[in-house]
Amino acid sequence: MLLPAPKPEILARRDSIVRRLRVLAPDGVVADEAGLTAFDGDALTAYRQKALACVLPKNKEEVSAVLKFAAEEGIAIVPRGAGTSLSGGALPLADAILMGMGRMNRIVEIDYENRCVVTEPGVTNLSITRAVEARGFYYAPDPSSQIACTIGGNVAENSGGIHCLKYGLTTHNLLGAEIALPGGERVKLGGKAGDGGLDLLGVVAGSEGLLGVVVEATLRILPRPPVTRTLMAAFRSVPDAGQCVADIIGAGVIPAAMEFMDRNCIGAVEDYCSPGYPRDAEGILIIEVDGVAAEAAHAAERVTEIAKLAGASAVTEACDESERTRLWAGRKAAFPAMGRLAPDMLCMDGTIPRHALPRVLVRMAEMSKEYGLGFCNVFHAGDGNLHPLIIFDVMKEGELARAEAFGAAILQLCVEVGGVLTGEHGVGVEKRDLMPVMFSDADLAQQQRLKCAFDGAGLFNPGKVFPSLSACVELGHMHVKSGRVPFPNLPRF
Amino acid sequence: MISALTEADVIDAVRAARAMNRTLEITGAGTKRAYGRPMFCDDVLNVSTLSGIVKYEAAELLLTVLPGTPVAEITALLESKNQRLGFEPADWGPLLGTPIGNATIGGVLSADVNGAAAIRYGRARDSLLGVRAVNGMGEAYKAGGKVVKNVTGFDLPKLICGALGTLGVLTEVTLRVYPKPAQSVSIIVRDVNVEDGFALLRRVWQSPLEATALAYIPASLPLAQLGYVGEGAALIRLEGAHEPLKEKIAALLAIAPAAQQIEASSFFEAISSGAIFAEQSCDLWRISVPPSEAAGIVRHMGSPLFAADWAGRFIWIGLEAGGNGAELRALCECAGGQATLVKADKETRQRVAPFSPESPARRAVTKAVKAAFDPQNIFNPGRMWKAV
Repeated sequence: MLLPAPKPEILARRDSIVRRLRVLAPDGVVADEAGLTAFDGDALTAYRQKALACVLPKNKEEVSAVLKFAAEEGIAIVPRGAGTSLSGGALPLADAILMGMGRMNRIVEIDYENRCVVTEPGVTNLSITRAVEARGFYYAPDPSSQIACTIGGNVAENSGGIHCLKYGLTTHNLLGAEIALPGGERVKLGGKAGDGGLDLLGVVAGSEGLLGVVVEATLRILPRPPVTRTLMAAFRSVPDAGQCVADIIGAGVIPAAMEFMDRNCIGAVEDYCSPGYPRDAEGILIIEVDGVAAEAAHAAERVTEIAKLAGASAVTEACDESERTRLWAGRKAAFPAMGRLAPDMLCMDGTIPRHALPRVLVRMAEMSKEYGLGFCNVFHAGDGNLHPLIIFDVMKEGELARAEAFGAAILQLCVEVGGVLTGEHGVGVEKRDLMPVMFSDADLAQQQRLKCAFDGAGLFNPGKVFPSLSACVELGHMHVKSGRVPFPNLPRF
Repeated sequence: MISALTEADVIDAVRAARAMNRTLEITGAGTKRAYGRPMFCDDVLNVSTLSGIVKYEAAELLLTVLPGTPVAEITALLESKNQRLGFEPADWGPLLGTPIGNATIGGVLSADVNGAAAIRYGRARDSLLGVRAVNGMGEAYKAGGKVVKNVTGFDLPKLICGALGTLGVLTEVTLRVYPKPAQSVSIIVRDVNVEDGFALLRRVWQSPLEATALAYIPASLPLAQLGYVGEGAALIRLEGAHEPLKEKIAALLAIAPAAQQIEASSFFEAISSGAIFAEQSCDLWRISVPPSEAAGIVRHMGSPLFAADWAGRFIWIGLEAGGNGAELRALCECAGGQATLVKADKETRQRVAPFSPESPARRAVTKAVKAAFDPQNIFNPGRMWKAV
């Protein structure tokens, strides 16, 4: 996987650039080797790269000042939240300024009357819920990294979590954002009451740092459902579990969460934190239903009935809050638990139509043998969002390449059955070169034209999301003839 | 008028317009032609003929249709599987002078017109998962996907939703659908003034009852189905299976002891769609404000003609015909919201910007985005603002 070649003229000016940054963001510049090593990547751990310099602005004005300077000098910017991206969205570039938003970590306003929170981008996801839970509210998107990941990063990646099926992704819970554009100018999109005009907020959410830097966000908070019930259904066969998922949704029940883990994953998690999963099951579903008491009871009853009909060997329910927390702790620990089994791991993220679950699960097991690499399956079953974890050892000759090929084959399979490359982790660098599997040249050209509308000079997060470099002027008059773009041999970086 | 039967027809029409430097007005059933700035286009490209269900997968909660499909046809289809569109599309036809029931899904999405239930399930843009569309260069592209959870590439469907056809021509849309609750009850709290009525709606909205409608109408807009409303009425809809619904109603009575169940339910549609104003000769504005600011603005404007949806977040306000709405706009902007002129004669819509003017920085982005989709300004030129 290649990143754009660093521009020598920028590398040569590094010292003067750092000096200037120290003026623009006093006490917020990291430029020493050790410091830059701390920021040399994100949760896509296979790739490491030190930035030209790292700047940690402490307010909007500093963000704008740095962006203005960067635009004048033609220096690229890589925005970074907490660096928990699983797709390499925050992977630094050798000739780019890494802009870490972690110091802008204040909640600006809590407005219960209008059910929203206005926050700086560096506030962690879980802090939003912590700030409003005493009054009975919470912030719905809850990626597993929620104790660390930040709201700015959540907006950039349109993060999901386990409660998306019922409560939506970040974009559905984002009322407004103030973003800084290349050049430093700031615009407000949406707000407590939304705005008229084009839905620019909708397209900035999930734009992976390619369109703007989020400097403030307005988030919708929800009243906590009075009752939450958590069930676990164990299955002797994985396709049965897949069928159960389709049957529950088909019956008109929308659980607050519905998570699947396979046998490998159950074993790893049991070894790691003993949540009490049945080790002899081929797969389990953790299903959460919520609402007023009668609503949760009604849904729990329906789910139990359907799971049994679908062949569940046991359906149990967490009897109190501590048991519920324990069940979820196991699910949220799947990633670190698997991490103990092998030195390295790739976490994939395709979404498929639910009806294709049984077929895709069987095929993935076959592929694991073909590629000679172990994997386990944990996924958001309710919305068909798969997270196969491929385990490998980067020190062993050729294993990284094989793991990436296995991952790519899984994602191609997802697209083949009508799904998509990424449900919540983003494209980043990880899935960048797979974009043509899902999108035609014309599809990608239209997305790149939008990128050019925001960032004509291509300064924001270059090398991410799009598989080929296209200068904005070329896109202006794209002639797609028999599926070919102009300059088909333009090198991919 | 050019009628498109296929995506290829749309491509041909756009390429021809591009070659001859002509502009196109994009229409479906034409129910919202009187919305936005008046346009003077060289041709009309009608896509109501690009109609039909492509694929309905009830168990996947997915529906793919062609943009000219009537909303009524979609509603009936979903009904057959006990499902529905979460955003409860509103039909602005009667308000803007066309018969009820003609609106197409493409038109509804292009204008992002939502009904009462959108307060619970999100707006049209939140249900639009994927699109096929033709841009101003006559190229077809797709964006988004056909699954409920997807972050692959930019979310262009959201941008196209609500763009009033200024960015391109939809040729296929994929929507998320929702199960329909077994039962639904309408509840009225009579004789409450604006302040108390709106405050009550907010309390319900802040509670976990997941109300699917939170509306208010004043005494000056009587709806026969409601009977006596006194100074005004707060209107609430709760949904669910039998037992859960009973529990929700009991919880609501704890918040609003005067709440009473009523039989009728169609008034929510009449409010959301603005149909209750169809006979009024005033100009009709639609404002979007933080709910806590809504009562103050309504009181300040002093118009007897208004109705609130979404617990006060959306309010219709009738003002004297031909006015410029400057006072209303200033109030809304000050409160962190905005005001749109929905119904007025051509001359007024020409003179008064129907959509709130943008800040210079934002206007620059909007213009660049327009150019990224439609560089020759072929589609609905000037419908939103002079340049877009």
